[in-house]
Amino acid sequence: MSDRHSGRMNGHAIVHRILIDPTLGVLALLVIFAVGAAILLPVFYAGNNLLNLVGSSITVMILAIGVTVVLISGGIDLSVGAVMALSAGAAATSMRLGLPVFAAFGAAILVGILAGVVNGLLVTRVGLPDFIATLATLGFASGVLYIWTQGVPIIGYMTPEFRLVGGLQPVFGQVTLPMIIALALALIVGWVLSSTSLGTRYFAVGSNPVAARQSGIRVRWVKTQAYMLSGTCAAIAGIILAGRNNNVPADLGTGYEIQAISAAIIGGASLMGGRGRVLGAVLGAITLALAINIINLVGVPSSFQKIVIGAILLLAVFANFVSDRVRSAALRRRATHFSSNVA
Amino acid sequence: MFNRTTATTEGRFGAWRRLSTAAVIGAAAIALAGCTTVSPSVEGASGGSGGSDCGSAETQAAITAAVAGRTIKIGYTPPILSEFYTQVEKSAHNRMQQLEECYGIKWEWSRQGALNDAHSGVEAVGIVENFISNGFDAVFVCSAAPHATMQEIYAQGSAEGVDFYQFNSTEELENPSQADDPTGGLHTISNIGYDDRWQSGYIAGQYLAKLLKGEGQIVQILGPSGSDWTKLRQQGFEAAIAEFPGMQIVGSADGGYVRDKGLTAAQDLLTKFPEISAIYGENEDMALGASQAIDLAGLKHWDGSEGIITIGADGLISGMDSIREGQLTATVDVNSVQMGITMIDTLFQHEVLGMSVAQFIRIPTTVVDKANVDWAEGLIADAMAGPGSY
Repeated sequence: MSDRHSGRMNGHAIVHRILIDPTLGVLALLVIFAVGAAILLPVFYAGNNLLNLVGSSITVMILAIGVTVVLISGGIDLSVGAVMALSAGAAATSMRLGLPVFAAFGAAILVGILAGVVNGLLVTRVGLPDFIATLATLGFASGVLYIWTQGVPIIGYMTPEFRLVGGLQPVFGQVTLPMIIALALALIVGWVLSSTSLGTRYFAVGSNPVAARQSGIRVRWVKTQAYMLSGTCAAIAGIILAGRNNNVPADLGTGYEIQAISAAIIGGASLMGGRGRVLGAVLGAITLALAINIINLVGVPSSFQKIVIGAILLLAVFANFVSDRVRSAALRRRATHFSSNVA
Repeated sequence: MFNRTTATTEGRFGAWRRLSTAAVIGAAAIALAGCTTVSPSVEGASGGSGGSDCGSAETQAAITAAVAGRTIKIGYTPPILSEFYTQVEKSAHNRMQQLEECYGIKWEWSRQGALNDAHSGVEAVGIVENFISNGFDAVFVCSAAPHATMQEIYAQGSAEGVDFYQFNSTEELENPSQADDPTGGLHTISNIGYDDRWQSGYIAGQYLAKLLKGEGQIVQILGPSGSDWTKLRQQGFEAAIAEFPGMQIVGSADGGYVRDKGLTAAQDLLTKFPEISAIYGENEDMALGASQAIDLAGLKHWDGSEGIITIGADGLISGMDSIREGQLTATVDVNSVQMGITMIDTLFQHEVLGMSVAQFIRIPTTVVDKANVDWAEGLIADAMAGPGSY
């Protein structure tokens, strides 16, 4: 009897844990898509389709990892697309000037970090709302790239190394370097968030900045660090996209911020701060790429693409809403139980 | 083979010479087509301070007197600041400088393109209204904003003395008729461009049919749904393919007019249709993305007898090397250089010389492949190396 009871309790605990997991929504969607595709679309598993799908999601995935950290710390970064494009421009131009490939990549990363610092200073020192500050950086970064390129794409910078970084040449089998970079980045940032004091500070600042400040956390510095991390991710994405694209047009980053934020939200990050997971961002980016892949394979008119992505976003947010309610109910039960015990 | 570096180092005069040749070729083509866009003596202009290039001394003096040192303030509103619109702008600037050197006309030029969503046209509305309120003499507009919205703004602006010229636009979608109305129902002075159906989509389809001898499966990579350019080019392309019962369009996907999405769309289509003979990218960037997808899939590009054909449309200088190297089989060059020249000629004729200009001016387009890539690239490279800058 007691075994059955403890088994039921364990089962209940597992279901409960799944329900409060912020990646619940995106996981459910991925399972539904994968099963649906297996039944209705045999070509989905043909050839290199799955690897192509992952390859096409890498840029948004890396951006979404950075955006997730900013969302956890209570901000929002609208500048990631423009910063990505500007970093790509910095790398491509450096290559054209004859700099070694690692110096070119270093220049791109520097641009990304600087953009993060600017965002952080505008938010924490000037006091601008995150939305406005990063929107200003978006405009500034895209404007600089337009002036720099005069609207003419940067070409003629491709080298074998750049082809490798762009994923145009596999490292082994069908695995490309961008896939390895994205995996490494996800593991590192995921570890920072879950297992370090810095990660705890991001969550604390995003959940309640006043309480975090009173606990001795340097809120301004933590938020600036989050933007710097997002800028670095944007720069890495920019280097990869410059390699994949073979050219850097002035409008390279247009629309990527929306995709990155969507991927982060689908992955369980909250616009209210204090919540999100790197795994969710990764799965969110793959879900977006998967939706487009299925649309293309089925042959659905492209006009439906935005509707499908909107629907996915709604479903994921609904799943997060359910998860929030379950978590709140659990906290209330725990509080009631605690107060009755005290009484 | 055309050498882009040599063209640049030859300096202004070499560039002028080629540009003038291009202008003459274009002007002759337009004149032959029955259009009235060529101003007296302008077609022979090749820069320099006066002289025979600006017409005879008497004609030059007469036109200079008509100009009377006037300054014309122009707004330039492309849907986005891209390579294509930069080529158009540079070509226009070269022509403006020629006219300035010949006839003493002064120009003020302001460029303002959408920075965020080029395909909604929302930003274009604000930009054009801004040009009107700032008292510009003339505005060149290419916008994805709804036809009726823009015509309403043009009507208001015209009442305030601003003249509107559309370029690279899609007026053919509205089927304007001049049977009973000389303006075709528009509030523009002129519309300078090409017919997206028959001068872009259709000739791309015909070219494919010729290479494939009327047999084969094709996939399309289209621009954003709802785009007028997409609708029209697709209409023309499908009309051309429909003439060949052995050819079929088996699939299509959205490439968003950008290379990365074009690559992804082509990868998906190649997964579903591995036996295709050709990929039609409705613009050049998407076609170049498709070319990369062919490489990544380990498939063969068209070599003149077998492989997958990729064809795009635009005529970008950055795509010409890909044609030469066989990565891109062909592109429809919609003649950015001639478009820029014609825009300025038309404006000069109307604003300065008081001529009546055609409401619809069609510039020539051509399919560029390995056979003609040298001169096609040369004309664009010369324009880009030209001295015009405003």
